Amino acid sequence: MEGMTYLAVAYLGMLVAIALWTWTVVQRSRRLDQRLHALEGVAGVDDQPRKSDDEAEHKA
Amino acid sequence: MKWGEMLLLLGFTGIGSTLLLALLWAPSVSLDAFESPAAQRIFYWHVPAAWAAFIAFGALFIGSAGWLFRRSEWAWRLHVAGSEAGLATGLMTVWSGCVWGAAEWGTPWDWTDVRLNTFGLLTLLAVYVVLGRNSQPDGVESRDTFAAFGLYGFVLVPVTYIATRIWTIRHPGPVVATGDEGSINGDMGLVLLLGAISFTVFIIGHMLTSMRLTALEQRLSNLQGQHDGGI
Repeated sequence: MEGMTYLAVAYLGMLVAIALWTWTVVQRSRRLDQRLHALEGVAGVDDQPRKSDDEAEHKA
Repeated sequence: MKWGEMLLLLGFTGIGSTLLLALLWAPSVSLDAFESPAAQRIFYWHVPAAWAAFIAFGALFIGSAGWLFRRSEWAWRLHVAGSEAGLATGLMTVWSGCVWGAAEWGTPWDWTDVRLNTFGLLTLLAVYVVLGRNSQPDGVESRDTFAAFGLYGFVLVPVTYIATRIWTIRHPGPVVATGDEGSINGDMGLVLLLGAISFTVFIIGHMLTSMRLTALEQRLSNLQGQHDGGI
């Protein structure tokens, strides 16, 4: 039974680790979204030019 | 909720269910065949994580090639997502392997085993690409350098895959896709399949979210550049 306890702890540790990693990525994405919306609001930019960002960067 | 986040949630639920089934439902292995039969259940995490790592390194290879040969921004985002996902899944695989090795072999690592060392190198490659990229300013030269590592480093994937088919030193040989019936029974195979599907969904969700994140960072950087230039 002791082996199963160690295994359960190892499984739980790995689950917590990937949950934290996922949470960090999702939160970063949401924060960036909010910052972008705020900046677009200040600059008076709407959502339309998003598609051309790739091309603009390419030319740069 | 975005597509990537939905897949992440679905994959994570599947991974949790896999581990629960692995712990409570999957049949035990023979006490004679293993030093530590309980530790064998780490296999339901280790194998799907390694499978997800190969998907991530495949994405890194395609993204690197797409950036080097097509100069595609989409491919660069795939490179970034693939390297981060490869690092995470690589560490999961190495760590779970070390836990099993410590219980079964009495040592977490064997420097003479080809499979262990090529996979370790692959994970180190992901460490280098992720840390290196985060410490350098984004530019064509730095992207070319990291994309070259992603492209040529992929050669370790087939070497790792065939390693236990050619040299069985310490790491066990393949249990699925062996050409015969394999060495796992139906219930074990079912839990392993659920794990493989869950990890696949999870890692695709992660890469989609990561690609979106890189796109947002690029857009924010462009907007800030325009804003600063206009002042």
